[in-house]
Amino acid sequence: MSKLKLLLIDDEEGIRKVLSLSLKRDGYQVLTAEDGGKGIELFRKNLPIIVLTDIKMPGMDGIEVLKRVKEIDPDTQVIVITGHGDMESAIKSLQLGASDFITKPVGDQVLAVALNRAKERLETKRLLREYTNNLENMVKDATEEVKRRYEFESKLIQQSIDGIIATDKEGNVLIFNAAAERIFGYTEDEVKTRKKVHHLFPEGIGQKTTGILSGESRSADDIFVLEDTSVEGKNGEVIPIRFSGAILYETDKPIGSVGFFQDLREIKRLQKELIQSERLAAVGQTVAGLAHGIKNILNGLKGGVYIVNTAMKKSPDSFAGAGVKEGGNGSKLRTGWDMVERNINRVSGLVLDLLSYSKEREPEYEKYDPNIIVDEVCNLMESKAKENDVKLIRDLDKEIGEVYLEPKGIHSCLLNLVSNAIDACIFDPDTEKDWQVKVRTHSDRKGGVIYDVVDNGCGMDQEVKDRIFTEFFSTKGNRGTGLGLLVSQKIIHEHKGILDVESELGRGTRFSIRLAKQEFPEKK
Amino acid sequence: MGKKVLIVDDDTDIITFASSVIENSGYTPISALNGEEAMNKIREEKPDAIILDVLMPKESGIKMYRKVKTDPELSDIPVIILSGIAQRTFTRSQKALTEFEGQDIPEPDAYLEKPVEPEELEKTLKKFLS
Repeated sequence: MSKLKLLLIDDEEGIRKVLSLSLKRDGYQVLTAEDGGKGIELFRKNLPIIVLTDIKMPGMDGIEVLKRVKEIDPDTQVIVITGHGDMESAIKSLQLGASDFITKPVGDQVLAVALNRAKERLETKRLLREYTNNLENMVKDATEEVKRRYEFESKLIQQSIDGIIATDKEGNVLIFNAAAERIFGYTEDEVKTRKKVHHLFPEGIGQKTTGILSGESRSADDIFVLEDTSVEGKNGEVIPIRFSGAILYETDKPIGSVGFFQDLREIKRLQKELIQSERLAAVGQTVAGLAHGIKNILNGLKGGVYIVNTAMKKSPDSFAGAGVKEGGNGSKLRTGWDMVERNINRVSGLVLDLLSYSKEREPEYEKYDPNIIVDEVCNLMESKAKENDVKLIRDLDKEIGEVYLEPKGIHSCLLNLVSNAIDACIFDPDTEKDWQVKVRTHSDRKGGVIYDVVDNGCGMDQEVKDRIFTEFFSTKGNRGTGLGLLVSQKIIHEHKGILDVESELGRGTRFSIRLAKQEFPEKK
Repeated sequence: MGKKVLIVDDDTDIITFASSVIENSGYTPISALNGEEAMNKIREEKPDAIILDVLMPKESGIKMYRKVKTDPELSDIPVIILSGIAQRTFTRSQKALTEFEGQDIPEPDAYLEKPVEPEELEKTLKKFLS
C-alpha cells in the first residue's frame, strides 16, 4: 500500500518539525507549508487526502485554507489546530466542513485519534461512493435491458411474417404491424383512427371479441383458431387467411385482444398452379401413352385423303359427274371434301404439337451448320410469304461454322417462328407498310448461336406478350393451335437455350433463339 | 410392271395408303400384315425395297429388320421404316439387341415417322429405286 499523503500547514517551524516527524513515523507521507498561501499551492499540486492546518497564521488563516481546500476537493479531510480555549474558531471550522479539531499543544495520542477518525470517514465516503456508483450502474443496466427487450419485442411484432393486430378493451387498434398492412392494404394510421376490432377480425370472431371485451369477467370461449377463413381488404377484396386470436386479461378482467393473420394468398395460388400442372402432367402422360395409336390414325386419315385425291385427279368426271348433271352437287362435293381435308390437316397439326409438347426428351444433337436450317425453312415458307406480299430476307453469318444442335428440333422452332412472323404481317392492319421478315444468324461471344426472326408486322401489346407462352393461347382464332410457341420454347429449353421476345404494337416483333455452345454433346 | 415394293404393316389402312403411293410412283406394291408373312414374301418375291412398320403382332419390325439385314442375300434391299415410334426409340432397341446378340446392325436406310406425307414417302422411294 502506498503511503497516505498528508499536508501540514503551520507558521511555527518547531511544530512543523515535531509533528511531521511523528506523522512520518506513523506511516504518512508528509508535506509541509509555513503559511496558507503556500499550503494551498502545495495542495493543488499534490492533492493530499488529509490536511492539518493551524488556525492562527499570518496572511491566509486556517479558516480560509479550509474554505479553499473544500472548494478544490470537498472530500478532503481537514483537521484544524486551534489555540487552547478558542472554541469559536473550532465551531466555525466545523461549520465550514472541517472533519475535526485538535487544540494546542498537540498531543500524539489526540492527533492519532483525529487522524483515524478522518481515515474512517474517508473509507465510509469511498464505500458510499462505490455503492452509489453500483446502484447507478445497476439502474442503467436494468434500463438498457428493458429497452432491449422492448425493442426486441416490437421488432418481433413488426417483422413477423404474420399480420398481428392488438386492441384495447374498447376495441381500438393498438398494434397493426407491417404484415397486417400488407394483408389488409390499410396503413397503421388509417386503422388506428378509423377501425375497430370487429372491422378487422374475421366475420363472427370480431363481434364475439367485442362482446367479451365489454364484459368484466373471463370468458370460457376466448381463444379462436380458424384454419381457413378470410378477411376483407381495403378495396373490398376477399383475402384468404389462417386466423388465431385470443382475449388478453389482467387478473380475470379482459383488457384487450390480439389476432394473428397468416396470409394464405400465395399458398392458394401455388395450390392452384400445382393442380393445374398436375392436370397437365396427367394429360401429357395419357397423350404420350396414346401417341403411337394416334399417329397411326392420323396416317390413316391422311392416307384416305390421298387416295380420294388421287382418284379425283384420275377421273374428275366420274367423281363430280353426277353432281354436275343434277345442278351444283358436284361443286358441293368438292367444297365438302376440301373442308374434310383442311380439317384433317388441322387436327393433325394440333395433335402432333400436343404430342411433342407432352413428351419429355433430350435433343438428339448432331454437328450441323445452323445456316442450312435457315435455308430449309425459308425455302419452305417462300411461297406463303410471296402470296401475302411479305419479303423474306436471310441474313446469314457465314463464319458461324458447325455447332451441336438437334437439326429437326431447331428446324421446327424456326419454321414456327417464321410462320408466325408472316402471320404477324398478314394480321397487320397497316397496309401501307412494306412487310418483311428477316431471319438472321450470328454467333455470340462465347461460341453460341443466335437466330433472330424479325418482322415489321402487327406486333403485340403487353397482355398478349405475357400470354404467348401459356397453353392454348392463340391470337389466330381457329387457325392456331395455341401450342406452337410452347413447343418451340420446349425444344429450346431442351437445348438449354433461351427463346426471347421483344415486341411493339404496330411496329413488329423480334424472336431470338439463343443456343449456348455445347461442349460435350450427348452421346447417342 | 416395274420394281416391287413390299409394305409390311398390321394396319390395313396404312397398307392401302402406301400401296396407292407405291402405284402412283410407278412401282408394284406387295403387302404383308406381320413379320412372319413378310419374310415369306421377301423370299418368294425378292422386292426391291421394303416399307416396314415397327410395332406389329407376331414378329415385330425390330426383329424382322435384323433378320433382313443379317441375311447376306437380303441385306442389300433398302428398308424404309415407317412407324409411329420415334427413331430414337427404334435405335435404342436395336442397340440393346446388338449388345445382347453381339452382332452389329446398320441404321435403317430411311426412317419416316407417321403420319407421313405422301410426297415424302414417294420421294424416299424414288431415292432408292431410280
